[in-house]
Amino acid sequence: MKVGIIDLNSGNLLSMISATQNTGYETVVLTKPSENVDVLVMPGQGRFGFVASQLNKNNWRNFILDWVSQGNKFIGVCVGMQLLFEKSDEDNTAQGLGLLTGTIKKLQHVKTPMVGWAKLHSDLDFYKDQYVYFVNSYGIPQSESCIASVNYGNDFCAIVQKDNVLGFQFHPEKSGDYGLNLLKKALEK
Amino acid sequence: MSKLFQDTSLVPRLIACMDVAYGRVVKGTNFKQLKDMGDPIELGLEYQHQGVDELVFLDIKASVDKQESALELVNKVAKTLSIPFTVGGGLKQLSDVDKFFNAGADKVTLNTAAVENPELINQIANKHGSQSLIVAVDVNLESNGELVLYTHGGSKRVKTKYNEWMTEVINRGAGEIMINAMHKDGTGSGFDLELLSEREYSVPIIASGGAKQPNDFLEAINAGADAVLAAGIFHRGEYSISQVKNYLIQNQIQMRTI
Repeated sequence: MKVGIIDLNSGNLLSMISATQNTGYETVVLTKPSENVDVLVMPGQGRFGFVASQLNKNNWRNFILDWVSQGNKFIGVCVGMQLLFEKSDEDNTAQGLGLLTGTIKKLQHVKTPMVGWAKLHSDLDFYKDQYVYFVNSYGIPQSESCIASVNYGNDFCAIVQKDNVLGFQFHPEKSGDYGLNLLKKALEK
Repeated sequence: MSKLFQDTSLVPRLIACMDVAYGRVVKGTNFKQLKDMGDPIELGLEYQHQGVDELVFLDIKASVDKQESALELVNKVAKTLSIPFTVGGGLKQLSDVDKFFNAGADKVTLNTAAVENPELINQIANKHGSQSLIVAVDVNLESNGELVLYTHGGSKRVKTKYNEWMTEVINRGAGEIMINAMHKDGTGSGFDLELLSEREYSVPIIASGGAKQPNDFLEAINAGADAVLAAGIFHRGEYSISQVKNYLIQNQIQMRTI
């Protein structure tokens, strides 16, 4: 089992690399597409438009779309999760991957970014009432793929899942021992 | 309670602070009487397992030539721990700060450098985002009843007025402010509740200085603190992180549980 972490030059990858390694999986950082991994993780920090433009380099966009359509596992984290959707109000000309339908919206709270620990609302026992660490100003208010949510001025999706595509709006790599369990479960099979 | 928790799922945070010198966690009222409290990584891991929400590492012996060892520690913390952590001590310019973020820090904290070069607050906020910066404010209630700002680890009086400084720090882009009430530090008489409740701030406030027992944390949160920070009470083993959290939860404060 080999994890490939996509390096889009958007933030420090050290915590994510260490987290996947600490869950016991061999981890490689990919600056260019590679078939030689079992699961792809796409972290992202900063603006939606910037990360979206990074996807246009090195043929990442087409590679990821093919990767997913072939049934391989793909995980987006933070802005990486937002990129799974079509668009964002943060940069409305930028194109997401469109793997999920919807537009990312600004959180309706006087103070953004949202920073800190929040309890997940979910019908699934593994996620229900668990605390995870958020740092974000935008989110997807609702999605048919939403499997866990939190509130910050408005409800938004914390975890989305559609077949082999998974997204975390929060930082599992910064969410303590539970975050590591969550990551391990996400990377499995 | 802070307004930050209205209409959100966010919960108040419990933060453990470690003063680090020569790669060890220390505690002392002055530099000559530093007491060894253990290894920062081991202690950090223990606190993480007990459910601490964040850690702060302050290199109290920091200087430019010592930065290498501090960066090494930050890198090791980032690789070992899986909770957010802040580093501070001796940061003077943006290039220092960049190095710490590259080494894996989630946030940095400024004190003296912010007062001496307030523009640095704007620079960090613009480059790394407000969420990455905590400005620490050392304030002392003088015998004449005046609140006076201090820098250089509490050794240098500053002319800037406390209230004006708090406003300026927020306007320049600090993501959080840590209020360290020097007159409470080491006294064990609790956090300064008046400082926490006298004003409503638009950024999270971290209460620091004076915690001796779980009830002090409760009072600080009820007075308006968004996060509570302590050091010695945990390092000396007087109370564990989980004991403090359990006490808060029993008293109707929602805290992260693990």
